[in-house]
Amino acid sequence: MTRLATTRTASIRTVAALAALGLLAIAPATAQEIPTYAPPPPMPADTSKLPTVVLMSMGGTIASRGDTRLNITNYGGGMPRVDPEDWVNDLPEIRGIANIILDDQRAPRDRPSGTETHEDCARVAKRLNELAADPKIDGFVVTHGTNTMAEVAWYMNLTVKTEKPIVFVGSQRPWTGLSGDGPRNLYDAVRVAASKEARGKGVLQCTNQFINTAREVDKTSAYRVDTFKGVDAGALGFADPDKVVFLREPVRRHTVNSEFAGLDFPELPKVEIAFSYREAPGYLIDAMVEQGVKGIIIEGVGAGGATSGTAGQGEAIKRAQAKGVIVVMTARTQGGRVQDTPRRREAKMVPGDNLLPEKARILLQLALTRTTDLAEIKRIFDEY
Amino acid sequence: MPRLKRPLLVFAAALVLAAGLHANGLPRVQLFTTGGTIQSKGADRQKLMEYNAGKVTPEELLADLPELAAIAHVGFTEIANSGSGSMTGPILIKLANAINAWLAQPEAAGAVVTHGTTSLEETAYFLNLTVRSDKPVVVVGAMRPFTAVSRDGPFNLYNAVRVAATPEAKGFGVLIMLNDEINAARDTTKTNTYRMETFVARDLGPLGYADSDRIVFYRRPTYRHTFRSEFDVSKLTDLPKVDVTYAYQEFDGAAIDAFVAAGAKGIVLTGRDADAVKRGQEKGVVFVQSDRKGAGRVMTSERATERGTPTADNIPPHKARILLRLALTVTSDPAEIQRIFNEY
Repeated sequence: MTRLATTRTASIRTVAALAALGLLAIAPATAQEIPTYAPPPPMPADTSKLPTVVLMSMGGTIASRGDTRLNITNYGGGMPRVDPEDWVNDLPEIRGIANIILDDQRAPRDRPSGTETHEDCARVAKRLNELAADPKIDGFVVTHGTNTMAEVAWYMNLTVKTEKPIVFVGSQRPWTGLSGDGPRNLYDAVRVAASKEARGKGVLQCTNQFINTAREVDKTSAYRVDTFKGVDAGALGFADPDKVVFLREPVRRHTVNSEFAGLDFPELPKVEIAFSYREAPGYLIDAMVEQGVKGIIIEGVGAGGATSGTAGQGEAIKRAQAKGVIVVMTARTQGGRVQDTPRRREAKMVPGDNLLPEKARILLQLALTRTTDLAEIKRIFDEY
Repeated sequence: MPRLKRPLLVFAAALVLAAGLHANGLPRVQLFTTGGTIQSKGADRQKLMEYNAGKVTPEELLADLPELAAIAHVGFTEIANSGSGSMTGPILIKLANAINAWLAQPEAAGAVVTHGTTSLEETAYFLNLTVRSDKPVVVVGAMRPFTAVSRDGPFNLYNAVRVAATPEAKGFGVLIMLNDEINAARDTTKTNTYRMETFVARDLGPLGYADSDRIVFYRRPTYRHTFRSEFDVSKLTDLPKVDVTYAYQEFDGAAIDAFVAAGAKGIVLTGRDADAVKRGQEKGVVFVQSDRKGAGRVMTSERATERGTPTADNIPPHKARILLRLALTVTSDPAEIQRIFNEY
């Protein structure tokens, strides 16, 4: 369902006028408007030449309301959700950057990102692939809950075949929160998606004025607004007030150069993650195999280690491999690479490079749609 | 040897040379030494400070690492043997010209430069702007002297040669190699006085790693550098004098007047005094606004344009100084200098 944004700036102008009169200070604390004490910037005289950006909602905190503006932890629930139209109405200035097409992909309702399934990802990837083929569209902004945004962005980075910018955005505070980060993040994400410089750089993520890559970005703090950081490799650039600036581009394969791009994956092979720690038992891995997993990601200790001994993970991994399960080693250090070593090759373990386990899982799922050959899977982990 | 195979062998040898390989099949890397902690000796092996710079010769450096023979054919050129603090415009130019002459040879695969860490990033950025080749140039240093236990120099140098010998490292601009990390000359700064993870590209992170299994890259710089740079130092003997002011409360501009009186052609500002800047501008001095924080951009703005003071983006003051010195060899027009700061 695609529709052009409606023009409803009158209410915003009224709010701005009231603010100018100093009347907003006595407005009730439950007011849902974003507090703005200066008016929106003027619209450009001619908006017909502006790029066209699809603003797609997959929900998230940025699409959530709290009962008061100090509620930044216990929002959503029974509160009415923030629809895509609300964003444009509250932030009419994004229509000064781009012609906005709204696309609501919250499904089936505004569920938290914790209940999202692969079905949702596959549907959105298919939608992005379809829309990317439309020559009238220049870029995409996709909102998502911050908890699993990085994984979803990574899936799109591997499966959407386009050079057009796709920018994931979210917020740490609900749309109604005091000093909410959502409005600025959304504004910046639209600017990045509308910029020519963002083309061909893979799926991006923009919050807190940093432009990060889907491959490296990780949520690093539960509540702080500077939560999204690149693991090892940092930001590509910045969405600064004077300009959107890029200082880096990614080297690894993505989007147009991905062998998985443009394809539909309604289902993916089952892959689970086993965390390693002192005395981590092997029976959890046995249980995964009993459940029929085709692959297992070990979130290993140090540079990629599992527990040894008869009850340990190492023996369970061997039992899993004997049944044809592919095992990829990642590191719980959340930084640094799991390297290719003779011992690891002997153990038939695929090194996960510096991918976070949850992203290694998605890559292995996609790889397993093609092959179960270890050398080929290692190639895929080396290239993406 | 059967006669038929000889032309083939000659052809293969020519191919090998053209690919930057030595006759023995290994890539040819030239080591340009300038000194620094990596070439320093301490009185005992627990000395991590108060060592004397400039004691280890290039021959000693190479003899210390016989493992290099398996990965590259390494020659050397001694440019200087002193600490970071002794680096000057004429030495920088000599270094750039020597590297350019080396890399212009088809048989050259790459170059490694040893340097003191204190001003390593300035030399690396200078080379990033003046080396006219896409072949890898890797600047390397050490935080612990040659004589110390747990010294970092040897592995840093080994990795620097590996990266310089790697065709995949072409086109990334000048690289900085310490602590297994491959960093970009423009974006990387020394962030700690003694720790070995001192070189950090704030916000942006490293380009990749020199790990035991492979040399791996995740990022490529998008700004202009090396083979896409407009700066040519081959005809120069020195660079224009450019100084830097430091910002603090009650900064009064006396430093600006003194730099101008001493003949500065350009001044990078962190500390700014509007009147002193005007006085300098009247004498033709070019001012660029940087910042002392070490991260984040000084943005372009109408106000800065009105003042005629180009902004330095996220280039820290000591590196903005390097770019301004080179910019002043081609222009003194603030708009043109702003373009240069936007592009490099």
